[in-house]
Amino acid sequence: MMAFLKLLARNRLALGGLIVMGLVVVLALITPLLPLADPDVTNTAQRFKRPFSDGALLGTDHLGRDLLSRLLWGTRLSLAVGFAAAIIAATLGAAIGIIAGFYGGRTDNIIMRGVDMLMAFPYILLALAIVAALGPGLMNALIAVAAVNIPFFARNIRGITVGIAHKEFVDAARLSGMTDTRIILTEVLPNVIPVIVIAMSTTIGWMILETAGLSFLGLGSQPPQADLGSMLGEARSALITNPHTSVVPGAMILIIVMAINLLGDGVRDALDPRLKSGALSRPMPTTMVKRTGLPPEAKADTLLALRGLKTQFQVKDRIYKAVGGVDLQVNPGECLGVIGESGSGKSVTALSIMGLVASPPGVITGGAVHYKGEDLIGAPYEKLRSLRGDRIAYIFQDPLATLHPLYTVGEQLIEAVRAHHSIDRSKARAHAIDLLKSVRIPNAEVRIDSYPHEMSGGMRQRVGIAMALANEPEVIIADEPTTALDVTVQAQILSLLDDLRRQRGLAIIFITHDFGVVAQLCDRVAVMYAGRIVEEGPTQTVLNAPAHPYTSRLMACVPELGQGRRELAAIPGLPPVVDKLPEGCAFADRCHKATDACRQGNIELVRHGAENMVRCIAPETPAQEASQ
Amino acid sequence: MTGYILKRLASAIPVLFGISIIVFVIMALIPGDPATAILGSYATPENVEKLNRDLGLDKPMVQRYFIWLGNMLQGDFGRSFSLNRAVLDEVLDRFGATLILAGTAFVLCSLLGIAAGVVSAARQYGLADKAITFAVLLGISIPSFFLGMMMILIFAVKLRWFPVSGMWPIYGARDLSALISHLTLPALALAVVATGVIARLSRSAMLEVLRQDFIRTARAKGVHERSVIWRHALRAAMVSIIPVLGVQAGFVLSGAVYIEMVFQWPGVGRMLVDAILKRDILLVQGGVVFVAACYVMFNIAVDVAQSLLDPRIKT
Repeated sequence: MMAFLKLLARNRLALGGLIVMGLVVVLALITPLLPLADPDVTNTAQRFKRPFSDGALLGTDHLGRDLLSRLLWGTRLSLAVGFAAAIIAATLGAAIGIIAGFYGGRTDNIIMRGVDMLMAFPYILLALAIVAALGPGLMNALIAVAAVNIPFFARNIRGITVGIAHKEFVDAARLSGMTDTRIILTEVLPNVIPVIVIAMSTTIGWMILETAGLSFLGLGSQPPQADLGSMLGEARSALITNPHTSVVPGAMILIIVMAINLLGDGVRDALDPRLKSGALSRPMPTTMVKRTGLPPEAKADTLLALRGLKTQFQVKDRIYKAVGGVDLQVNPGECLGVIGESGSGKSVTALSIMGLVASPPGVITGGAVHYKGEDLIGAPYEKLRSLRGDRIAYIFQDPLATLHPLYTVGEQLIEAVRAHHSIDRSKARAHAIDLLKSVRIPNAEVRIDSYPHEMSGGMRQRVGIAMALANEPEVIIADEPTTALDVTVQAQILSLLDDLRRQRGLAIIFITHDFGVVAQLCDRVAVMYAGRIVEEGPTQTVLNAPAHPYTSRLMACVPELGQGRRELAAIPGLPPVVDKLPEGCAFADRCHKATDACRQGNIELVRHGAENMVRCIAPETPAQEASQ
Repeated sequence: MTGYILKRLASAIPVLFGISIIVFVIMALIPGDPATAILGSYATPENVEKLNRDLGLDKPMVQRYFIWLGNMLQGDFGRSFSLNRAVLDEVLDRFGATLILAGTAFVLCSLLGIAAGVVSAARQYGLADKAITFAVLLGISIPSFFLGMMMILIFAVKLRWFPVSGMWPIYGARDLSALISHLTLPALALAVVATGVIARLSRSAMLEVLRQDFIRTARAKGVHERSVIWRHALRAAMVSIIPVLGVQAGFVLSGAVYIEMVFQWPGVGRMLVDAILKRDILLVQGGVVFVAACYVMFNIAVDVAQSLLDPRIKT
């Protein structure tokens, strides 16, 4: 509760709303004690006095009544009626919702049908019908406003109750022989009360507005009694000659409703946990770059090279170093595998290349990505956009989420082409059909008009690959493209990628956590752990003689068909949290041969044998052996 | 598609049935003898008895309901005693004016609200976002009837840009330009609240969508950011915006009652308020049922639009 109030106080607008609302409520409460003129005494000789005149701070109305006094008394009445309507609606609505949600089945069905019927009305029709039946008057307006809001509460509370009614503690209460009434009162009600309060706080402004509205129409409070709405209604006939009589009550309604809305927003924000983490931030078109120091120099004649790439996630006061200085390179016709557990930073590395890491919270803080010698980190948006999908293309995991659900695959393919080449639609469509054929989608002429949800997982991934190939890129970055697929489909996709690489001389960076895939497809492999490369080399040497303890332990986790009798050795412990990386080797805590030396200083990635690199001071294999 | 529309239309029948029952029950709540209430000072025993017979009030409730329903289905909504005219004729006359006002306001609030929401989301925490957020807060807090009065004061009385009230000029041609100049202020005043609500919702729907993987895919393809926002993100966000438009249409229709009073617009809302003050129950009953039925139909149209937009909905 204290945390909630603190959070609310941090929201300055909400705090402002709270203060204004508090002032209004206090004023309304002490109105009878203030030295005010009688609000109902008419004095036609003093009619339409301007504001700030003697004896009448806000002037007088068409009957010479003191506006300040009428305003305060009217506010008092409007607030009372609004609160009363909210409480009645919340109580009755909650009761109906709890009964429907708790008993379920037939009861629920009948009640909710009725609620749906009531919600089928534009609310004012219902309110007007009720007032028409009961006759104009403030009490009747109150009843009408409360009644039209009951369905809203009933529906909200029912939803919450249904969730609670099947929880273990309710079952336990039932088994212990408690009556339904007692269960509702002692187990269910305390859990829905917060929801009721929130729903009330967001609707109370609305109720005040609505009762004021009915009074404005002449259907609410009747003269001489006046709430803010009827004050405004009476002032309407003098709007043009004496606008102050309208502005005074109108502004008061505006102030009250605005204060309540600000407060309600603050309450909602404070309670919505998603907003706390900043997760609702929209990712910008490119990842933010905040590099310190000079970026590393480009190395000659590599197609794509990452040098000391650092990417962080900055959430509030925490910094997660997802990628902590990664060097990788890939050349035409080459396939580089990047392997590691979930959270090792391999996907973030891949996305950093084209500035696709969601930002906020992602920030690239160091290093360089050289494409044909040109640094892409910090390159202007238009530069990156012209390369994205044209020279360097991505294939993502889970194509159901990564393809747009509401466009046909054809439209999405055509768009990929037309983003970089201005060709007409029919040509682009023919090209799209060719692309679908090239990834061996049968019946491509028909399938092109399918939506992603109408295709199988394997077919969708082929579409993803076709889209990556659309502009004949030089580099394809495949981020776990086969993880969501079953084994046979996976094999087909892999052989397809392998063929394409050989035919077109594509460079592929293949992100995976599967050694089998690496062995099948990749020329070289880099092993990542806690945001850094711990071992790199030709696939054969790394797989046959892993030098880093992590690589060998990781491979020991892989079950092998037909080998039998081998113990699967899970690696004990968990990867370190990347906002609190230990000094020295990040794997030390899980490594069976870690020594004190492993936990000190920075351990460099050093040459190990002819072509391999390893980041370990006690490699599994002696360097000479690896080189032989 | 046709099958889906028919199915949705069929599902409206129980709703319409329910609406008629609810209205009937509410009207049956009238305290005391309705004929006495209607007749007021003319309530001599003979008159009361005659009116009861005319209105069929001497029969049992259930029978009365079915007679009323049967008559309505044949287009007979009864007769308004205050206007001495068939209820349906009056409602139809007035409903046209309401439709023009509410329809214009609905189109305005949909377009402005969605555009504001999209811009706000695309420029999250930027200057445009802050300005829009503040305007939205003001818009949803101001009572539409007060806003309407202030608009009259500023734009009609002070600046003389628009007429003060009414739907047509008292003298002069009843042409489109006359209608537009009379329509502008009330339609804007009516649209403001809904615009705010729609803008708010569109903003959060857009923020939700912009975090999805397929947006990253669009960016990875090299699609222009403009197109990412307006084509990819908005299309997906519309799936959650459209139902809100349906709900807001109900609010616009409701708000029209106030605006019609403020601007002396000859619509069905003003008719209802007048009828209530004159205790013309049959007119209220007929008007409420008619407008509610139209609203149900409109919501079916919204559902159909939704299914056209989202191929994943089974039609």
